[in-house]
Amino acid sequence: MSKTIETDSLEIFANEMEKVKDALPKKIEANPENAEKGLAKLVLTLIELIRKLMEKQAMRRVEAGSLTDEEIERVGETLMKLENKMKELKEIFGLKDEELNLNLGPLGDLL
Amino acid sequence: MTAPAHGRRIISVKGHTMDNPIKTLQDKKSYLDLRKQERVTLLEVLDRALTKGVVISGDIVISVADVDLVYLGLKVLLSSVETMERLRGAPIVGPMQEPT
Amino acid sequence: MSLYAYAIIDSTVGVEESIKGLSGAPVYTIPYRDIGIVISDLNAQIQKEDKKSVLKHEEVVEMLMDKFTVLPMRFSTLFSGKEQVLLMMKNYYDDFIENLDRLREKIEFGVKTIWPGDLIRERITTAHRKSDNLPLVASSSGKSFMNEKFENYKIDKEFEEEADRCIAIVDGFFSKFISEKRLEKLKTDNLLLSASYLVDNEKRDDFKKAFEELKSSGGDLKYMLSGPWPAYNFITLKHSGDGKFGGMDLVETVLQHKDPEEKDEK
Repeated sequence: MSKTIETDSLEIFANEMEKVKDALPKKIEANPENAEKGLAKLVLTLIELIRKLMEKQAMRRVEAGSLTDEEIERVGETLMKLENKMKELKEIFGLKDEELNLNLGPLGDLL
Repeated sequence: MTAPAHGRRIISVKGHTMDNPIKTLQDKKSYLDLRKQERVTLLEVLDRALTKGVVISGDIVISVADVDLVYLGLKVLLSSVETMERLRGAPIVGPMQEPT
Repeated sequence: MSLYAYAIIDSTVGVEESIKGLSGAPVYTIPYRDIGIVISDLNAQIQKEDKKSVLKHEEVVEMLMDKFTVLPMRFSTLFSGKEQVLLMMKNYYDDFIENLDRLREKIEFGVKTIWPGDLIRERITTAHRKSDNLPLVASSSGKSFMNEKFENYKIDKEFEEEADRCIAIVDGFFSKFISEKRLEKLKTDNLLLSASYLVDNEKRDDFKKAFEELKSSGGDLKYMLSGPWPAYNFITLKHSGDGKFGGMDLVETVLQHKDPEEKDEK
């Protein structure tokens, strides 16, 4: 069975697919030197996931009009503090946004 | 040395054969295309073989990606939340749930 | 020394001895009941994900496709010994049989679509900024934060809805010729669709024709067809796992915690 790659825009696809590959979560190295950073990356990835889910949930409620003015203010303050805290933690551990990517595949729709 | 005329092969002083320049240009273009094709093929293979296929989890498997076990567990947790939402017909609410 | 696994096949024999796998080691089959797993011996315990090894893995799998129904293993599946392999085969046997039966005589094609996502996002963003339809009065920090997030949320939503519309059109070209599909939407803003289609061998030419029709359908979208591939994207393991991360087990456990009222309604 011979394989085909058929397209008029080989270069464009190559470039776009490289971006996807770079965005894949990298393996967490479990050796002594990297253990701390690896663990931090794992924990922060999970926290980011929950934080983003919470933000999305809040947006759905704003859209549905089911939050009072006061609740909007409170939720906004909370989410803002969480976001800032995450920025701090990312800096402390020297991690970039792309590194905290959790490849959920079809479950990515949750976000 | 003057440029070779169309379709004629010139033997250079050093004894190498110099091809028709148009043919060389075509060769170069198809070489680049081949390299791009290889690149795309590799990316397609990586996308499949690294993340998909039969994925075995459990103690009896030695796998480089031990972290996979955590991700697999997380995926299962998330998929069960999604299933629950679907069966209930509504999103699962979190800490911001309003009293019913 | 480890055992490196390439694929599950619907046979206990018949793999050519001349096929070489990683590190040049010959591949062989470990049979289990009426199926087999294709293996080669590997000295290195850790399999580096380097380009050469992955391509070699793929090469072996594709050679098997000519003769057998093949369930490709993910790259770097290693076992410490034959007993472990057989134990795994026992655990996963039902899953493997189900997959082999479902995937027999079928191949996977990949269709990717690129659209001008950056431009579309820009257009939507500009349109939103123009119309002052902010739902809240931005008077305090919490509310301003929510405002900004909400605007991004709306833009994302519209962008995704636009994407879904385009994807439905592209996908529509193939629906008559496929048995299953997996659609990955917007892996990047510009990679609108990364689709895998499971196609009957007999319908292969029809499928390719459909791709040609798609290509000539006009517009400024770009398309790429790849394949045939081993059915990496169509493996479903439902019954297996050692219990720690058994998918369906966890779902069932969670579902059992129902509200008292719901129980009565049953």
